[in-house]
Amino acid sequence: MILTIINYIAWYIFVFISVVWILVFLQNKNKIRDTTVKTYKLPSVTVIIPAYNEEKTIEKTIKSVLSLNYPKELLDVIVVNDCSTDRTKHIAEKFTSKRVVVLNNEKRMGKAYCLNKAIKISKSELIACLDADSIVEKDILTKMIPYFKDESVACVAPALKVWEKKSFLEKIQHAEYILNIFLRKCLEFLDAINVTPGVFSIYRKKVLEEVGGFDEGNLTEDMEIALRIHDAGYKIKNSHTAMSYTMCPKKWSELFKQRIRWYRGSIQNYVKYKHMLLNPKYGNLGVFFLPMNLIAVFSIIILLVTIAWNYTENIVDSIRNLFLVNFDLSFVFSNINLENIVMQLMTTPMLLGLFGLFFGTYILYRAFNISEDDPSESKMGLILYLLFFPFVLMLFWLLAIIYEILNIKKMW
Amino acid sequence: MKNFKKQINVGTLLSAFIISTILFVAGLYVGYGISTQKLSSVEKEILEINRDVENFQIQFLLLDVLGENATCPVLKNTLSDINKRSYALGSKLEASNPESEILTYREYINLKKEYSRVLIGYWLLANKFQKSCLSDITTIVYFYSKTCDRCDDQGVVLTYLKNKYGKKLLVFALDTDLDEPGIEAIKKHYEIKKYPSLIINGKLYEGFLGVDELEEIIRG
Repeated sequence: MILTIINYIAWYIFVFISVVWILVFLQNKNKIRDTTVKTYKLPSVTVIIPAYNEEKTIEKTIKSVLSLNYPKELLDVIVVNDCSTDRTKHIAEKFTSKRVVVLNNEKRMGKAYCLNKAIKISKSELIACLDADSIVEKDILTKMIPYFKDESVACVAPALKVWEKKSFLEKIQHAEYILNIFLRKCLEFLDAINVTPGVFSIYRKKVLEEVGGFDEGNLTEDMEIALRIHDAGYKIKNSHTAMSYTMCPKKWSELFKQRIRWYRGSIQNYVKYKHMLLNPKYGNLGVFFLPMNLIAVFSIIILLVTIAWNYTENIVDSIRNLFLVNFDLSFVFSNINLENIVMQLMTTPMLLGLFGLFFGTYILYRAFNISEDDPSESKMGLILYLLFFPFVLMLFWLLAIIYEILNIKKMW
Repeated sequence: MKNFKKQINVGTLLSAFIISTILFVAGLYVGYGISTQKLSSVEKEILEINRDVENFQIQFLLLDVLGENATCPVLKNTLSDINKRSYALGSKLEASNPESEILTYREYINLKKEYSRVLIGYWLLANKFQKSCLSDITTIVYFYSKTCDRCDDQGVVLTYLKNKYGKKLLVFALDTDLDEPGIEAIKKHYEIKKYPSLIINGKLYEGFLGVDELEEIIRG
């Protein structure tokens, strides 16, 4: 009975959050459609590329930055090689010039350290961080820079897509990234962007210095810095047409490691920034997004665990039943009754689930729409994303919570 | 920035709250409607079976007047009719999936009680038929409880045998959690303390019985 009530609550929250996204989207539809690039006095930009063992991609990463449509005298690049053991250093140093500097760490120090090290020597007004397994489109800066006209804006995030989508796993993640483009844009209108991805988020250097740079002990420094910027009262904007592409995990084991890191990082940041929770000073982020996210994760975990549990139970039961009836297979089929199956499916939670599925599909449709992507190219990925991926992510969440409680040491 | 206060889109959040609440309540309402519909169709069937059982009772009166040869085949027919329907209804009742339906749970329990009363009456008549017509049918009353470990297994075994033996085997599944006076009386009479328990042709068997053991008992 308690479980049933929790299920109802979870569905309610799911419907509520979906409605919020749809309302925010509909209210700001015109602003989203308006993609005309505004003019603004161009500031100087330093692109920082922290790199650890990225020999396969770093050349393309640097090249994509050097071919940006931006005045040469206003753009420079700092590659920070974090003690790579492959040819990363060698490849990066080929590009050394007046505009490209390569710094080398003596020891492996982590991404946040690399970023801070480069920020210290940069003389630009703006800092763009770019993971060395990612590329950007030529016009990304001209689309993002105008947002800095507003002095209270400390950071602008771009839209992020999957670089290669060959394997199933990549296709599924493609759908996820597209959805995130939509959600991040909606979050912008609520002034509640909670993550500024490591792929070409641009920061105002003055603000980075004011808040003390990136947190070097943090698992997810891109979420931490976003929360810190909010904490200092600045705004974060998003340009959903400024495209960047990143390599996403190709193997389940890589995905597992990545997500456990993300989710453990989230938990740690929730603890670190708990003073924001339900605090009206932090606006929508404090009173809506952070608490809602927390409740949603818990209730969806419970929901999915019950669903998964029921499925497993059913499977285990049918195997058990076979043992009970001396493996008489005819029994299994004789017991299937269409009317009873329909009866079992026509329940209130199922009906609420249909609402959820309907809203989810609508949001995904809109997400593909605004990120100018073709959903028909990734049908299979979409179906798997909708029906299967949430279970995997929730499992990762559950494990991340368990790891965090048991304080198991980091595994990467 | 020293003094700042970020925006809260009260209007948006409030309208989202109202819209989702309306949708949610509408969903509950429609769900309630479907659930009630399901239960009322079950209720109708219970009434029909009840009428059949009453009919059976009347046919029994014929026994004294017309004698066994004329009456027993008629009785047997009626019995197998009821049997078929009550069996289908039992699984339909289980399938109406009440645990997720908070709003109609009470109605469901009432229906189950009603159904078990009909079953008891039906069982008693079947016993009478067995004696009067010297029939080879087997009756099994099956007592189960939600908290019992092997009740689900017992249910599966009984369903299997029911499918196999058809009309020759009558199974009466009684939910002991219902707190139904009739069930309590039978429990008291047979001194049933643990579950699953079976009364096969009037004799009590406590604990789980597998397919082979049950078949042995049925074949005598």
